[in-house]
Amino acid sequence: MSPIAPRPTALVSARWGFFISANFLFAVLALLLLAGCGSSVNRYQLIDASLRAYDPKGADAIVQRDEKEYGEKSLVLYGMDRGMTLQLAGEYQQSNAVLEQAEEELDRLYTRRIRTETLAFMTNDTALPYEGDPYEQVLINVLKALNYTMLGQWEDALVEARRIDHRLNVLSDRTNEKDAYREDGFARYLSGILYEITGDLNDAFIAYRNAYETFEATRAWSHTPVPTQLPEDLLRTAEALHFTQELAEYRQAFPGRKWETSQSLQHLAQVVVISYNGRAPRKEDQFLDLPISLNALQLVLLNRGIVQSNRPSNRGVDTVLYGLNGHVVRVALPRLVPQKTQVHVDTLRLIPDNGMPVTLNTELVHNVTALADKALAERLPGITTKALARAATKFAFAEAATRGAQQAAGHDAGPWVGLLVGLLTKGFAVASEEADKRSWQTLPDEIHLARVWVPPGRYQVQSSVGGFPDSPDSLMPEAMRTLSLGPGEAAVLVQRVMP
Amino acid sequence: MIVLDRGRFGLVMLALLSLAGCAQETRITRVDSGVVTDLSGRWNDTDSRMVAESMVKEALEYPWLNDFASSKRRQPVVVVGTIQNSSHEHINVNTFVTDLERELTNSQKVTFVAGKGDREELRTERKEQATYAREDTQKAPGKEIGADYMMKGTIATILDEADGTKAVFYQVDLQMVDLESNAKVWYGQKKIKKVVEKKRSIF
Repeated sequence: MSPIAPRPTALVSARWGFFISANFLFAVLALLLLAGCGSSVNRYQLIDASLRAYDPKGADAIVQRDEKEYGEKSLVLYGMDRGMTLQLAGEYQQSNAVLEQAEEELDRLYTRRIRTETLAFMTNDTALPYEGDPYEQVLINVLKALNYTMLGQWEDALVEARRIDHRLNVLSDRTNEKDAYREDGFARYLSGILYEITGDLNDAFIAYRNAYETFEATRAWSHTPVPTQLPEDLLRTAEALHFTQELAEYRQAFPGRKWETSQSLQHLAQVVVISYNGRAPRKEDQFLDLPISLNALQLVLLNRGIVQSNRPSNRGVDTVLYGLNGHVVRVALPRLVPQKTQVHVDTLRLIPDNGMPVTLNTELVHNVTALADKALAERLPGITTKALARAATKFAFAEAATRGAQQAAGHDAGPWVGLLVGLLTKGFAVASEEADKRSWQTLPDEIHLARVWVPPGRYQVQSSVGGFPDSPDSLMPEAMRTLSLGPGEAAVLVQRVMP
Repeated sequence: MIVLDRGRFGLVMLALLSLAGCAQETRITRVDSGVVTDLSGRWNDTDSRMVAESMVKEALEYPWLNDFASSKRRQPVVVVGTIQNSSHEHINVNTFVTDLERELTNSQKVTFVAGKGDREELRTERKEQATYAREDTQKAPGKEIGADYMMKGTIATILDEADGTKAVFYQVDLQMVDLESNAKVWYGQKKIKKVVEKKRSIF
């Protein structure tokens, strides 16, 4: 017997029943408030608008302003979003600092907190700390590596290349499925480029080879062909290392391919362009209303006949309607909304102080939307199972609470109290259902790359979107618009192209 | 009985809600700089100091030092070159180099000259003295002591990880190279192995 058990008189227990339901009301309200996060959509629209207006500092200010709104559950997401905007704003050191924090937090999140998991099970997955998908985690290190190259800290950029290698190794050990995301062609390719720039040809060759194999293996779902320069990179490094067998194999695989020897490139300077094109996909809720009685089925059909979309106002109607009926469980699943870029090739021109301009055309190396799609597809069975179990549990709790309140209220008030508690608890079960729609949304839709060797000297960088010289310049930090390169030196340029 | 269940349910709900907002407190304790503090498993001050101390001590015990002293009748002059970081961490190589320099200087067995970065600053100072300082206090160029040996090396890591357990293996290689003949007179190696275990779930 619990000490809080009421005396068995109808009057007292009726009061008790109301008392509990008032408490419940507060709890439900509190949870509803916790679960709501409508402003994130707004935030990303503002960031997009700033980037379109060539104002990366403004975009960064929006992320920074919202730091509290991200909350402690989305520390990693904040680091990711801000790391990107800071990089675009040319604040490479700060960008690295926030990305490093995100990475450390990620490390801590390996240990799951049971109480957080339980809370998430009672409400929805947005109560869980955001870890990001594996491809996003790899991109943390990619962005850091790029930051270090732009700061001229090549040794530190290589540290990131080694971390990418380690992260991918752990990932492929953990993932049994052959077709899953367990390797990253772009991250490997970039690592190879960094190794080669710093003179480590052996590691460069291994990275190029891994990249080539990954691009080939994941072609079906990544929609990313092998970059046109990668075969030359393989041939060049294999030759320089005197790997005769590998060289022969690649010569056979790429017949007729010509390449510059590693020695002849030593006296030239190198320019690598990374172009972030468009916007990453966003996620939205997809609701499934599962009727668990014939009446409820009719209600769902009728309701769906009247209201089509899942606007918040309709959700309010659903909440009351299904709460009254009491036999509908709602399951929310995330759905990906691609925001494909219209730019397929970016053209850059390097104009030397004297001599002919050099034109660079970028090509697709990383299809973020395809990766997000793959990641969601891989996680969806797990998410669905959990959502169904959660819906069933919420329904059972609501049913128990309604019956309990009815009993407590006694004969006369019973039905009314039961209805009220049922409306609240079952309404809560419907209203609190929300899919985890968080994702690294400051990422681009596609990442493009171009690489070229030029005679040492001073260059003006001119960028034109979509190959039209008249279109406005893309987003590139001011400092990157002039380059001064000595023999054997390299420069990495990063730009954002928005349409 | 049902009433009682509902009461319990309410309590559980409240308990869960209140647990979710547990406050974190910060506590600071001062410790001696010699105390080993292994927090994250990454390369830390203790590693840097311990490796520098033991390796310099080892380097100075080898016969090259006495051979040089007996043939040239003076202490050898040593400079610290680059220590390359080829690990998985952004190790502050400068603190390690400073640790090495300190140990070498304090050993009193070698004469230690400033490294590349410091030299630039000193030369600029001398150039400025030539223009602005009183003649009798000016320091003339071309009087630097050329080093006989250079100490250089690498910090590398090998990482292995599965199911929350990570083994980090640090290998620090240092070598003393004769600047005249490129002969390596001493080669030292120090290994540190750490195992970091992370729990999968806590309450």
